[in-house]
Amino acid sequence: MSDTGSNNPYDPPSDGGSGSTPPPPPPPPPPQWGSNPPGATGQPGQPGDSGGWTGGQLGGQQYGQQPGGQQYGQQPGGQQYGQPYGQPAGGPPPNYLVWSILTTLFCCLPLGVVSIVYAAQVNSKYAGGDVAGAQESSAKAKRFAIWSVVVGLVVAAIYIVGAVLLAVSSGSST
Amino acid sequence: MSAAPIYLAGPGRLPVLRPVGVAVIAVASVAVVAVVDPNEPGHYPTCPFLAVTGLFCPGCGSLRAVHALAHGDIGQAAGLNILTVLAILPLVVVWAAWLQRSWRGTQRTSVLPAPALWALLVAVCAFAVLRNLPIGAALAP
Repeated sequence: MSDTGSNNPYDPPSDGGSGSTPPPPPPPPPPQWGSNPPGATGQPGQPGDSGGWTGGQLGGQQYGQQPGGQQYGQQPGGQQYGQPYGQPAGGPPPNYLVWSILTTLFCCLPLGVVSIVYAAQVNSKYAGGDVAGAQESSAKAKRFAIWSVVVGLVVAAIYIVGAVLLAVSSGSST
Repeated sequence: MSAAPIYLAGPGRLPVLRPVGVAVIAVASVAVVAVVDPNEPGHYPTCPFLAVTGLFCPGCGSLRAVHALAHGDIGQAAGLNILTVLAILPLVVVWAAWLQRSWRGTQRTSVLPAPALWALLVAVCAFAVLRNLPIGAALAP
C-alpha cells in the first residue's frame, strides 16, 4: 500500500511490503577451484538444446556474459519464478558426491562406489566443456543416489522385521 | 558481510530449511549412535555385506568410529575406519557452503577438479581391498 516502489511490477515479493528498493544484484562468483570452461557458457544453444537446463529463463541474454562477469546474469526479477533448486542456469550440474560418500561409508553398498564414478564423470565432462554429457552423468548419479537410499531403507526394514520376528519367536519358545 | 546480499524473502528463504534439516537429522543420528553403543552386540544389525561375504567393505566400522568420535576418541575412530574420520571435515565444509548458498540464494559455481574425484574412487577401492589383506591389517575395523 504505502511502498514507494509500487510502480515496478517486477519487484520480487517481499514480506512486509517494503519493496521500495530493487533487489541487489547477485554477488560475484567465488574463486573457482577447477576450471570453468568457456564452452559451458560461451556456446549459444548448447545448454538449451539439452532440455530444461536453463530452467525457463526469459530472453537470450543469459548466454552473453562477459568473461569474468556474472555467471548467472539473469534479470533480478527472474529469480522469483524459482528455478528448481539444484538446476542452475550457468553453474555446474550437481554430481551428488556427498550422497556417494555417505552411501559408501554408511550403507556398505557397492552402489556408493558406482556413484563416485558418475560424480567424477560429471566433473570430467563439465571441465571438458561437455555440458550435455555432464548433465547425463548427473542424472545417473542422482538415480544411483536415490536407489542407494531406497535399497538401504529396504535392507534396514528387512533387518528390523527379521529381528523382531526372531525376538518374538525365541521369546515364545523359551 | 554487510555488502553481501541476503535474500530473506525470495529464493533464499525456503531452501535454507534443507541444510538445517540435514543438520538436525545428522545431529540426532550421531546422538543415537553416541548413546546406543555399537560395540555391544545386538544393538545394531550386522552389515549384510559382511554377513554374506565375510569381507570388510569400505564402510565397515563406521558406526563404531562415529561412536568413538562422539566420545572424543579420535585415535580409536581412526583405527576403526580412517575414511570416516577423514570424511568428517570435508562433509562439514561442504555443508557450510551449502548453507551459505541457500541462505543467499546463490548457485554453486565452483567445481572440484575431476582428477580429485577419480583419486577418491581409487582410494576407496584400494581401502576396500587392503583392509581385507594381511598387509593392510591396520586398516581393518
